[in-house]
Amino acid sequence: MKNTIKYITIMLFAATLSSCEKAIDLKLKDTTPQYVVEGVLTNRAGGCKVLLSKTKNFTDNNDFNGISGATVTIADDNNNVYPLTATGTGIYQNSTLTGNPGHTYQLGVSVDGKTFTSSCLMHPAVPLDSIYLVKDELENNKDGTPRKYVTVRYDDPIATKNYYRFVQYVNGRKEETIMLEDDEFTNGQEVNNNLRFDNSNDNPARDIRPGNQVTIEMMSIDQAVYKYFYSLSNSANGDGNNAAPANPLTNIKGGALGYFSAHTVERKTLIAP
Amino acid sequence: MKTNRPAWPSMLICEITRTPLRTALCMLLFLMMALSKAQAQGPLDKPVTITINNEPLKQALDKITAACGVRFTYNETVAKSTVKISVNAQNQPLGDVLRKALAPHPFSFTVLDNDVLIKYDDTKIKKRTVAPADGKYTVSGTIKSKQTGETIIGASIRVASVNAGTSSNEYGFYSLTLPAGNHELLVTAMGQKAAVVPVSLAGSLRLNIELEDNAQQLQEVTVKAAPAGARDLASPQMGVEHLSIQETKNIPVLLGERDVIKTIQLLPGIKSAGEGSGGFFVRGGATDQNLILLDEAPVYNASHLLGFFSTFNSDAIKNINIYKGDMPAQYGGRLSSVLDIKMNDGNNQKFGVSGGIGLIAARINAEGPIQKGKSSFLISARRTYADAFLALSKDSIAKKSQLYFYDLNAKANYVLGDKDRLFVSGYFGKDVLKAADIAGINWGNTTATLRWNHIFNSQLFSNTSLIYSNYDYKLNIKQDVNEYNIYSQIRDFNFKEDMQWYAGGKNTISFGVNSIYHTIKPGEISATGNSGVISQSLQNRYALENAAYVTNTWKATDRFTLTYGVRLSAFTILGSGDYYDIDADGNIVGSKHYTSGQEVKTYINPEPRIAAAFQLNDVSSIKASYARNAQNLHLISNSNSGSPTDKWVASTNIIKPEIADQFSVGYYKDFNEHNYEFTVESYYKKLQNQIDYRNGANVFTNQPIETQLLFGKGRSYGAEFLLKKKTGRLSGWISYTLSKSERMIDGINNNQWYNARQDRTHDIAIVAMYKASEKWTFSANFVYYTGDAVTFPSGKYQVDGVTYYYYTNRNADRMPAYHRLDLGATRQLKKTAKFQSDLTFSLYNAYGNPNAYRIFFRDNKTDASRTEAVRTTLFTFVPSVTYNFKF
Repeated sequence: MKNTIKYITIMLFAATLSSCEKAIDLKLKDTTPQYVVEGVLTNRAGGCKVLLSKTKNFTDNNDFNGISGATVTIADDNNNVYPLTATGTGIYQNSTLTGNPGHTYQLGVSVDGKTFTSSCLMHPAVPLDSIYLVKDELENNKDGTPRKYVTVRYDDPIATKNYYRFVQYVNGRKEETIMLEDDEFTNGQEVNNNLRFDNSNDNPARDIRPGNQVTIEMMSIDQAVYKYFYSLSNSANGDGNNAAPANPLTNIKGGALGYFSAHTVERKTLIAP
Repeated sequence: MKTNRPAWPSMLICEITRTPLRTALCMLLFLMMALSKAQAQGPLDKPVTITINNEPLKQALDKITAACGVRFTYNETVAKSTVKISVNAQNQPLGDVLRKALAPHPFSFTVLDNDVLIKYDDTKIKKRTVAPADGKYTVSGTIKSKQTGETIIGASIRVASVNAGTSSNEYGFYSLTLPAGNHELLVTAMGQKAAVVPVSLAGSLRLNIELEDNAQQLQEVTVKAAPAGARDLASPQMGVEHLSIQETKNIPVLLGERDVIKTIQLLPGIKSAGEGSGGFFVRGGATDQNLILLDEAPVYNASHLLGFFSTFNSDAIKNINIYKGDMPAQYGGRLSSVLDIKMNDGNNQKFGVSGGIGLIAARINAEGPIQKGKSSFLISARRTYADAFLALSKDSIAKKSQLYFYDLNAKANYVLGDKDRLFVSGYFGKDVLKAADIAGINWGNTTATLRWNHIFNSQLFSNTSLIYSNYDYKLNIKQDVNEYNIYSQIRDFNFKEDMQWYAGGKNTISFGVNSIYHTIKPGEISATGNSGVISQSLQNRYALENAAYVTNTWKATDRFTLTYGVRLSAFTILGSGDYYDIDADGNIVGSKHYTSGQEVKTYINPEPRIAAAFQLNDVSSIKASYARNAQNLHLISNSNSGSPTDKWVASTNIIKPEIADQFSVGYYKDFNEHNYEFTVESYYKKLQNQIDYRNGANVFTNQPIETQLLFGKGRSYGAEFLLKKKTGRLSGWISYTLSKSERMIDGINNNQWYNARQDRTHDIAIVAMYKASEKWTFSANFVYYTGDAVTFPSGKYQVDGVTYYYYTNRNADRMPAYHRLDLGATRQLKKTAKFQSDLTFSLYNAYGNPNAYRIFFRDNKTDASRTEAVRTTLFTFVPSVTYNFKF
């Protein structure tokens, strides 16, 4: 709901400010590369994965700048420590480790004399009841076909504060937009939440078209992880016209960028009519 | 998009960006010298041979014209003068002849193009002894325009014989205490013909003075012996800029809509918040630190159409004053400035209609007497019709969309007698932005003012005001089966009593009280459908803002004047409502409920104001001042360009009043017979309790806003230069500001000082108007300023397969420098006593510089392995034409 209001308000204003865009050559500062930790543990097999990388200069290419040679572990609250092993440059996995809701997990990463740690509680899963498509009335796809968005339906538990993140796949392609929701305005209600995304680069593969297979993953995330993604999306395009962009609020200790999230995953798929 | 542009502006810019202040100043001076030099030769060098024996001035001048061919221009004061002159010249230069002939008389002369301007000059009769008088008496009254009956604000009244003077207040009232005997009052005002009014004081006297409009003819040049409408060299008031609405008439503007808020941004120390923003920055302060008053009513959102136009319809405006931090004590409540806008009263002599039709808007203004000479009304309306073009669109949503604003100003005044006058005025404006039936927002201000002027006696003037102001917005979104409505409002009831006591010749004491009851509805949301959103509203906030002030302007000597006073402000937060305790991370750790009307907290702030002026000589002075201001209403904005949905919040137990202390010094000089004015002001401002959002703040929350905020301090300093040519065919100004503005907020930028977004090192504006003939007037303005301080990425990384950016220091980068040239031309079409009309053409951004509205970063659309910086530009080459009429 917040996303809906935010997007529609921005679109309303943007329509008035139709302007001319041009890529320009801007001299940006370079800086000492920083470590980035992206740690994920889910309740599903194969969902344990930690990515370790470093920042690059703006003018470099966008390839993942993975860092190898790190020691990566995840520990549960019974003092069991599970090692993750490198499966690619900067990619560390433990294919058998799954998390259980209600437990807190510790992440440990040691690399080049530095140690990064984090802990995260895995919240109980909130069931994803159903997903369905709704035609957007405000705008069409770039080619004039009707634009459609997924609406997710779930019952928000009344006793707890809940934070959700949704990830959308269209024919296996992951949508880049960060889609978040909390229950500040919807506590204890049946929620039908429209997952809007802004196809800013007019990539037709992002649009939902007839025949597409659309999968939604619903994650029940911790508040710290919600804050991380919320602040990440706020400064996602570095637009200084809004409040000064800043690095997202991380739950990683030790001076790295990134986050560690232990969360449950609920999944539903539909074929677009 | 056009990318080519003429070379000279960019070269000029390069020069300026590289040059330090000294060089820039030299350039300014050089330019001005060039302007004044251009006129330095001519008619005064002409040899003349003539003999005149004790003939009246006008007759004598006619003879000189006949003898040497040089024409004279003068106004009625000269034409009707009874002074007689004698001349005996044999082939002498005209200058010498005039100097000798006029030496014993209160007249002086100056060159005006190819003519010679003769004018009344009271400085020549200064200190002529007045017969000693037994006592002192007061002459007082109201100064008005003869043609329209409009009271004249800031008219200067001078009595050279005793070196006394004053100026009319904002209701046109003046009071001057003089020794008994005969005096001549010289009354001057911007845009009016000067008048010399003889008075014979044997007792206190009520004297209303009417001035004739100076119908903008070249031959009629306002007498400037006392600088009319110009900066008052003797007054200790600093940091003030004054504009009469006539001055803004010829300045080229975007889409032909004259706009006072855009015009003041061409003055030093006042900076545009950027294209597409209605806000402005004064001396490094934020946009919410400006108090904008329309007939004394605060206007909370002064922009239309997301900032492209201001809410002030120029047709309805009489006068604009902006105080850049050194506010007189009757003003308070904001740190950076007070923009005091006064509406016209309406013509009380005859009924008239004026209006205009432009590319995007039409205006109409009607005014006239209710009782001739006594009371009048004015109604002024404006509406844009840009959305009419949307109907032509093929897109079905655009077709059904709406995008417009309208506003309405209305005013009436009634003279109840010699001593009482009532004014009622109101403003109502609304913006509507709607995409078919799917989403819409409308917002607007409403203000109403009821005022009562009462003259207790010749020395005591009172004004009582009851004021209402309201700002609200409604956002409506329909989507699938869901509908959301969001509403927010700020509303004031305001009582003001201001008294002015002209206590003899040396002291003018102002005192008064002000009490405002604020109600803020931060937001309510109602929802229907299946989204699960529970309709709710945030608690209203109530506050009482009280203030009392007293200030005295003491004319210590002929040369030294001191204004000193204090404003005591008390801001009381009232229940009902919950107020919270919050820890360092923004988490709520406790709360307390207050019942309706219960006091939550009171902030008391004494705000001393002191200013001194020392007049070095007749044409120059130095001034210094100190002022403290406190601010208890804060605009919490997540967008730098300002949005109608920005939140006004009052101080709470956690949000402390913002406080500013400003020290300033200045030097002022008139030269070339008051044709030119040069001022330098320098200031240092210390700010406390400044507010910023936390990193990652959530702007859409039902949590207390304090959980999303951080607090700190600020400082700003700078120097402002203004060189103005006030008369002649060519008039205009050059303004230059060198400044710095910084913040230090706990929790931002590792608690180190960082540049405020509005920190702009250099800011230059050049405004020129040229009256080529009776038919054509041309104008141009050029602006250049350092780009805003912003935060650009210093690197990038991947999260979940998507590129994000890494940031280091806050606001350590710069937007590209902004520069633009606008051109304008006005063609007078028809001018009779009954009807006149003109066409105004303008070209905004004449060389099409692609100024950056915003810069953002993204993966390259064609090569996703690269990132790119993208600049968006709003306006390049915007032509417009407007037809204006008046009958």
